[in-house]
Amino acid sequence: MVVAFAILAAWELVTAAGVVGFRRPIYNALSLVANMLGLAVLFLILNAQFLFAAQVIVYAGAVMVLFVFIIALLNPGSDLTLGRSGNEWIYGVVFGVIFAALLGGLLFNRGLTGRQGSSSPEAINAVGNVQAIGTALYTKFLFPVEVASVLLLIAAVGAVYLAMRRIR
Amino acid sequence: MPPAYLFLLLSGALFTMGAVGFLVRRNPLVVFMCIELMLNAVNLAFAAESRFLNSLDGVVFAFLVITVAAAEVVVGIAIIVQVYRAGRQMDVDGLDLMKE
Repeated sequence: MVVAFAILAAWELVTAAGVVGFRRPIYNALSLVANMLGLAVLFLILNAQFLFAAQVIVYAGAVMVLFVFIIALLNPGSDLTLGRSGNEWIYGVVFGVIFAALLGGLLFNRGLTGRQGSSSPEAINAVGNVQAIGTALYTKFLFPVEVASVLLLIAAVGAVYLAMRRIR
Repeated sequence: MPPAYLFLLLSGALFTMGAVGFLVRRNPLVVFMCIELMLNAVNLAFAAESRFLNSLDGVVFAFLVITVAAAEVVVGIAIIVQVYRAGRQMDVDGLDLMKE
């Protein structure tokens, strides 16, 4: 398990660097697909099989296909990497340093001090992962699920409206 | 099983890379991909907390984050295509009409 995690962590970091670093957008998109598939396997290690399936279907499937379609359709140029003034690099470096310092703080504070719940991996696997999450979704989290459904409807209507409209 | 803080560390590293990419890149599509990277990093943190605190709440919230990300990509890409159809350059630095 530890070896698998080490390999996956290295894979995630390399592909994330590819998302940020490659110059051609299609390579960025393919790096992101690889990144999302690696993340799905990390969900498997974390005993979240439902999240694994959702990640592969929704992210690596639907969202990234949309990205690749749009890249193929628009064919954006490859020379749009660097900022004209160079200010963006300064912001990026400053943010990166600040966040790296925060991550260093995490190394000194390793304990996870939340209250333990009752859904241990054994308890979840006894009823089945999808059943356990479905029960939680439609009982405890019913309101967020309803809000998410309205959000998806609004997004679909908005996308259709934007696609129909001709702007000058 | 690797300890929890390693998962959180990986999640933070991915989030940082996404945020730096968001600030540095100029192609709006790549900027969107960096946002997806950040959302994915948060999902990893949610799933790890959920596993190590014996709770399902984190997994449910990661699922909701996936929903929000899908909606966001749909609207965002529709806007990018509209901007492209309006004949503007694919460059977030050039899209400053709202600033004036």
